[in-house]
Amino acid sequence: MVLQILKKDLRRKRTMNVILLIFIILAATFIASSVNNMLSVTTALDSFFEKAEVPDYWFCTTNKEETEQFEHFAKKYQYDFLQQELLQIDPNNIKVSTEKGKNPKIAYSNTICVSQIATSTKLFDKNDREITTVNEGEIYLTGEVFYNSQDHLKIGDTITISDHGKTKTFHIKGCMKDAMFGSSMIGMTRFLISKEDYEFFDDGKTSKFYSTLVYTNDIKYMDRFNKLELNMIFSTDYDEMKIMYIMDMIYAAVMLIVSICLILISMVILRFTIQFTMSEEFREIGVMKAIGIKNQKIRRIYITKYFAISLIGGLTGFFLSIPFGTLLLGNLSQNMILPGRKNYLLNLVCAFLVVAIVLLFCYLCTGKIRHFSPIDAIRNGENGERYSRKGFIHLNKTKIPPIPFLACNDILSNTRRFASMLIIFTLGILLIIIPINTINTLKSDQLLSWFSMAKCDHVISKEQIFNANSKNRSLVEDTLHDIQTKISEKGVQADIFQEIMFRMNVSYKDKKMSSLAFQGAGTVTTDMYSYLEGTAPQNKNEVGISHIVAKTIAANIGDTITIRNGETERQYIVTAIFQTMNNMGEGIRFSEKEDLDYSYAGGSFGIQLKYSDQPGKKELENRKELLKKLFPDAKIFTPGEYIGHMIGGDVITKVQDIKYLILIVILCINCLVTVLMVKSFITKEKGEIAILKTVGFQNKSLIIWQALRIGIILFLSTILATLLSTPLSHLSIGPIFQTMGAQNITFEIVPLEVYVLYPAIVLFVTVLAGTLTATQIRKISTSETSKAE
Amino acid sequence: MNTILETKNLCKTYIINKRQNNVLKNVNFSIAEGEMVAVMGPSGSGKSTLLYSVSGMDKITAGEVIFRGNNLSGLSAKELADLRLDEMGFIFQQMYMLKNLSVLDNIILPACQSKKNTASRKEKVQSGQDLMRKLDIIDIADNDINEVSGGQLQRACICRSMINHPKIIFADEPTGALNRTSSEDVMEELTKINKDGTTIMLVTHDVKVAAKCTRVLYIVDGNIKGEYNLDKYNSSSELRERERSLNNWLMEMGW
Repeated sequence: MVLQILKKDLRRKRTMNVILLIFIILAATFIASSVNNMLSVTTALDSFFEKAEVPDYWFCTTNKEETEQFEHFAKKYQYDFLQQELLQIDPNNIKVSTEKGKNPKIAYSNTICVSQIATSTKLFDKNDREITTVNEGEIYLTGEVFYNSQDHLKIGDTITISDHGKTKTFHIKGCMKDAMFGSSMIGMTRFLISKEDYEFFDDGKTSKFYSTLVYTNDIKYMDRFNKLELNMIFSTDYDEMKIMYIMDMIYAAVMLIVSICLILISMVILRFTIQFTMSEEFREIGVMKAIGIKNQKIRRIYITKYFAISLIGGLTGFFLSIPFGTLLLGNLSQNMILPGRKNYLLNLVCAFLVVAIVLLFCYLCTGKIRHFSPIDAIRNGENGERYSRKGFIHLNKTKIPPIPFLACNDILSNTRRFASMLIIFTLGILLIIIPINTINTLKSDQLLSWFSMAKCDHVISKEQIFNANSKNRSLVEDTLHDIQTKISEKGVQADIFQEIMFRMNVSYKDKKMSSLAFQGAGTVTTDMYSYLEGTAPQNKNEVGISHIVAKTIAANIGDTITIRNGETERQYIVTAIFQTMNNMGEGIRFSEKEDLDYSYAGGSFGIQLKYSDQPGKKELENRKELLKKLFPDAKIFTPGEYIGHMIGGDVITKVQDIKYLILIVILCINCLVTVLMVKSFITKEKGEIAILKTVGFQNKSLIIWQALRIGIILFLSTILATLLSTPLSHLSIGPIFQTMGAQNITFEIVPLEVYVLYPAIVLFVTVLAGTLTATQIRKISTSETSKAE
Repeated sequence: MNTILETKNLCKTYIINKRQNNVLKNVNFSIAEGEMVAVMGPSGSGKSTLLYSVSGMDKITAGEVIFRGNNLSGLSAKELADLRLDEMGFIFQQMYMLKNLSVLDNIILPACQSKKNTASRKEKVQSGQDLMRKLDIIDIADNDINEVSGGQLQRACICRSMINHPKIIFADEPTGALNRTSSEDVMEELTKINKDGTTIMLVTHDVKVAAKCTRVLYIVDGNIKGEYNLDKYNSSSELRERERSLNNWLMEMGW
């Protein structure tokens, strides 16, 4: 008999059963893919570093003698280490040739180095297999270069490298996952070539640097190492290397938020659907009770039905979760090995969890059966008792036209039913707003000060590559002078300056550290930078330090600290504290009056131009074009673009890509939820719709009534999401910026985009979906008034 | 008197499980303005189908339904809706109302929706309250619909059907779900409305209800088998005699 009842039920209530099935599939897909993604994202870096055998400490130097000095030191204290030589290649000398044509240059402008496979960390191909051999004429690139949208590189394309009169063409063997050089934050990338090809270029003329990887858990290592006082390009430890993947982690954090929101959405959907469909069953439950069928038997019928539906839904959701999860995490897996990506057991467990949740909801809902009399059940679970009135507004007391009134009144009378929709829509809009706020902040000019740069109008990407010699200062001065002359000839007056970077050892009392240091070269003064506290360093013996440096060496404004620049050690008074995102918050700012030894300069930022006549937006665009013509070999950026380029333009592109992906996913979710909910409402309200038709309401009015309810809920969701977006952006993405060294974050909010454009797109598409679904009202005949409760 | 509603060879067929079921077969009748017509017949004879077909609530299979000179089959869904809103009123056996609205809001809803009814919202509310007062249910104006009795709710449905001053009211067993007292009250109100000039067509099983009408149509197997004319109902003293004569006729018809 149970089977007979179920068979009839499934056929007769086809619409509601199909809606329930679709929602279960959705929930299982979202939950299974999101939980797997969350696990992948949160443990990705640790797992990747472990597999790649990333060292505990890593430093690079341009001086062979210093590596030998370290060798003695390591042998003395018995530290395990690997040393590797890398050749530095000018990006201008690398050309790519793809199927789509020949690009004159590779679309990468930071430092490129080539190395052979020996004495490196473990490197992996795109399928996460370890790369053990590279044949002559083959080359592996990091994801940052390989997936760059400009070049559209593919396996089999060719790359031609020229250096000091030697040229060689390589076939791209693949994209490699390189834990050391894979992060865009490190500001350089690595190409992997064979031993023979390496030796071909290694002729003593090419710039070289030496990478040393140290494996030790000796807590005294850093103190001992600092005493060596090596001149390094950079030095970092395991934790700092992890932080270098922070931009990938921003992407991961966005994905994490997406996953959490999708899980929340799924739970809300499930609760709504089960409760809604169960309320449909009450009338029949009442009849069954009335004819004497026992509660347990009735319950068994419904639990069997929901088990069958949820099992089909759960299994379908499991299969769909695999491609869906891969779609969401596709970008992140380009740079690192994600654990559990192919461990689908978790997806299966989640899918069965959804089945269990459905059964639990069903069990709880049917539990009410015991307390109802047959008549209560026939009355849809209402026993007639009510302690509050239904509507808050009355048609006879307002001037609202009937259709908007009915829409508002329905929402106010069935708050629980519409609350589910409100939560889903709010989460959806938040999911769009938070990544947009993050992208706009990353692209904004305010980041300039976070990277220890003075405000400017344009940046020319002519970063200096310094060798350890005394010509560095004249190289900088000549370049700046050359630019000054060229733009003056075109009648443009501007301050022209460049940030020169050093690595210096700084100490206060017994505390010591190695930090990045900056000095502006050209027409720039220290008062053009932003500080958190104190005043700009004005004199030779004054410096500003970042709050991370201040914290590490326990120094404050007014203290006298010792800084070593090359061979010279001097005392400086701290006059200011500032924040920087360079090297995770490390920084020292020197006065332009201080005469630093440029032979120890490690590098520079681009050349900045600040026009004297404060041109408008259009004129700035004209000048950008002028600069492009004057300096065809260099890239010209606005400050925001330059920062994006520095912190890894591909990260912004990735987050930007995910912004569109999220928008599409949210639109799909909203449409699906709207279509299914409107369909459920219409099924439930068939009788009322028929009454309204009977008393003379036109189909058009009734469709507007249904669509208006969705519109109102969506409008309320937009307001709610708008109010929550700023605190939630701070809560979710803020800590990542703080980890990078930025203490005071003001999210860049573009009101037109965030509060108008995207909500309008969501509103339009969702209401359209609601309206189209509501057209099925036309099929309801006035004679169906008998279906009214 | 002018004819308000007329059918010509009205047919209605349902297809159930690939079997054709002819519910109405060439039905011809007419109703004059101001009449109160009852449709009687055994269960399944097609009474309610006839009511829904002539009121434009259901599509007919063949024939014509002429309402005030307009053939309903030729009207669009929008025109039919306007007709139901402004010129027709409906009362059902069950008291169908919107559960999220108060009794008064349910009553004035069609008035607020009507474009022909140009009165202000305040006047519409007043008009709704006047109707409620007339039917002695003003006390329940602000109540939810599940807080009132069936009789009160049916009277509220009558108020709703009257709010736009319709030319005709269609009632499908208006007293079917009510007890005797409530039933008498409701019929009292309907006859009053009819006396005020509104045409009424109702479907009933109850001889007492039909006896208050001016004409009774007897329908069997989708055909009108006969009709019985009564004078205008004036007072309850003549009701027993009307019932008796109607009963006799119904017996002749095979009731």
